Amino acid sequence: MEQFGAHFVSFAKLVLLAMVPYVLASQGTMLGGRTGLFNVAQEGIMLVGASVGFLGAYLGGNLVYGLLLAMLAGALFGLALAYFTTTLKMNQFVIGLALFFVGLGLSTLFYKLVVGVTLQPPLIPTLRDVPVPFLSQIPILGDVLFNQNWLVYASILLSLFLYYLLYKTSFGLELRAVGENPKAADSLGVHVSRMRYGAAIAGGVLMGVAGAYLPMVYTGTFTEGVVQGRGWIAIALTFFGGWSPHLILLGALFFAGVEVLALRVQVGGLGIPYQFLLTLPYIATILVMIFAVRWIKAPAFLGQNYDRERRIL
Amino acid sequence: MNEQSNALGTRLRSIGDQFIPYLLAVVASLAAAGIFIAAMGFDVPKAFATILFTSFRTPTGFVQTLLKFVPLVLQALAFTIPLAAGKFNIGGEGQMIMGAIGATAAGILFSGLPLPLLLPLVILAGFVFGGFWAAIPAWLLYRFGINEILTTVMMNFVSFSIIDYVATEIWQDAAAGHPMTVPIGVGGELPLLVSRPPLHTGVLLVVVVAVVVYVYTNRTAAGYELVATGSNPRAAKVHGINVRMMFLLSLILGGALAGLSGAIEVAGVHHRLIEGLQSNFLLLGIIIGLIAKGNNLAVPFVAFFIAILEVGASALQRTMMIPVEMVFIVEALVLLFVLLSDVVRRR
Repeated sequence: MEQFGAHFVSFAKLVLLAMVPYVLASQGTMLGGRTGLFNVAQEGIMLVGASVGFLGAYLGGNLVYGLLLAMLAGALFGLALAYFTTTLKMNQFVIGLALFFVGLGLSTLFYKLVVGVTLQPPLIPTLRDVPVPFLSQIPILGDVLFNQNWLVYASILLSLFLYYLLYKTSFGLELRAVGENPKAADSLGVHVSRMRYGAAIAGGVLMGVAGAYLPMVYTGTFTEGVVQGRGWIAIALTFFGGWSPHLILLGALFFAGVEVLALRVQVGGLGIPYQFLLTLPYIATILVMIFAVRWIKAPAFLGQNYDRERRIL
Repeated sequence: MNEQSNALGTRLRSIGDQFIPYLLAVVASLAAAGIFIAAMGFDVPKAFATILFTSFRTPTGFVQTLLKFVPLVLQALAFTIPLAAGKFNIGGEGQMIMGAIGATAAGILFSGLPLPLLLPLVILAGFVFGGFWAAIPAWLLYRFGINEILTTVMMNFVSFSIIDYVATEIWQDAAAGHPMTVPIGVGGELPLLVSRPPLHTGVLLVVVVAVVVYVYTNRTAAGYELVATGSNPRAAKVHGINVRMMFLLSLILGGALAGLSGAIEVAGVHHRLIEGLQSNFLLLGIIIGLIAKGNNLAVPFVAFFIAILEVGASALQRTMMIPVEMVFIVEALVLLFVLLSDVVRRR
């Protein structure tokens, strides 16, 4: 029984650890989506975040530099997305894919230019656990919830804050209105394109951090495969969470759980070929979409550009 | 007589109007790359000469370009056919891998068959497996209305595990250092068009496929239904087109072509299944499809241009140590500039 308890604690701890990139990238997706801007460049932005996050931490000697650089890179991608789609009215999916390509290329290019090709990849220290005073002393719960790195806390607090912002403030109402009916919002004096710019940039920042988290927690270095589809899964998660911050947090727990479980079973060795365990997160994503499609309600204007001079929406 | 020459003039001018933005986009992207290359302290003229002319300096370079051209055209068509119906197939990679697996399975299981039987079987298996892999997201879209961008991407990741399993567990070549299967039967290999440097007949096959696809999408009623669905689904529905069925069929057809690219890589290049054979053809295929703006007549030409850049880029990395990702940025920039030219024209 005691052993089971220890297993549970270490499993739950890993799930919360793995949850962070999903939460950040999905909340970023949600923010844009709530204004009607459907970002599909997550994977590319996270790769750039991972690359410059690693490089900043490596060259600056402090993880904070990496995080700041990743935020800046993410913000630039968000800005580009907003400019091309909101100002130039270009197709959101096409621009998203193009930005994904740019991110994919830039991430490896930066790494190769700065580090070059080495036998031993340079490493950065991983994010340390920061126990919360007193709370971390609570049995089981304290170890799982209050003895983590600070980005775990930040991602949970961010989700709660976004919930408050979206549903309890008039700003949140305006933001959601832009994604549901920009014409109506516009006629009531909400600045539609400013909202979209803001949401895209803030979303990009979150995705950049989500990417930077990966080398800082898992690998200690940048590799091309470091993101491994998490950006795409984040889109599915955003749908799954019904474009609501609190449900996204729960959904992220689920996806992180599947990810950790697949790794655990692989190490434990149940005789199942490990290749099939590796497919679990992706198959889970597809299955979840089948169920989620019944209850999700995406923003009505998701993926469409708003042109105030057009009469028909 | 005068009228005829006028018509010809208009025609030429419209071709020119379409071509000039491309030219400008390429020049602008290369200029941006040049600035970047210069900033990194490399020899810019030499770098440009390497990128643009490696394909034409030696027969080997030219054959390499054609070998890249083959999967690129098919991957681009795998993207543009669903795109014509307004759907995004981002699963060409997985469909290619499954096609390659199907082709390999056929080539190994029936390795004793003579060429006239085995080769069609291998190619067909690639076609069917690729189509099947796309049919899953297509059906999910048809039945539940699930976003195809997501599901096609997820299927890619699943296929990575399957190819690993096939190449390391089922038919693994124990002697090889890299995960790969034993070779397929000799009868399953595509005959060579030129023997030195080796160029397989898949090049001809791809040209035929590209022509057939162009005729289908641009010159037949069925193809018109596809395009009508993409340009205005609601109007298409009102006029009696089964819109959801068009989504389904276009994705499966695209997947089948991606599967074909996998089969050709197996039958023409590797003669076995090798992990990683999908390279980055999916992304380049999408870039090609988008640069061509979904026009299937333009796809082979754009694909050839991208193949030149790709062969040039690997030479660039070999001889000048400029990272190969450099050219990927150039390609993405070409795409952005081509898209931007549309915006400029609209104003």
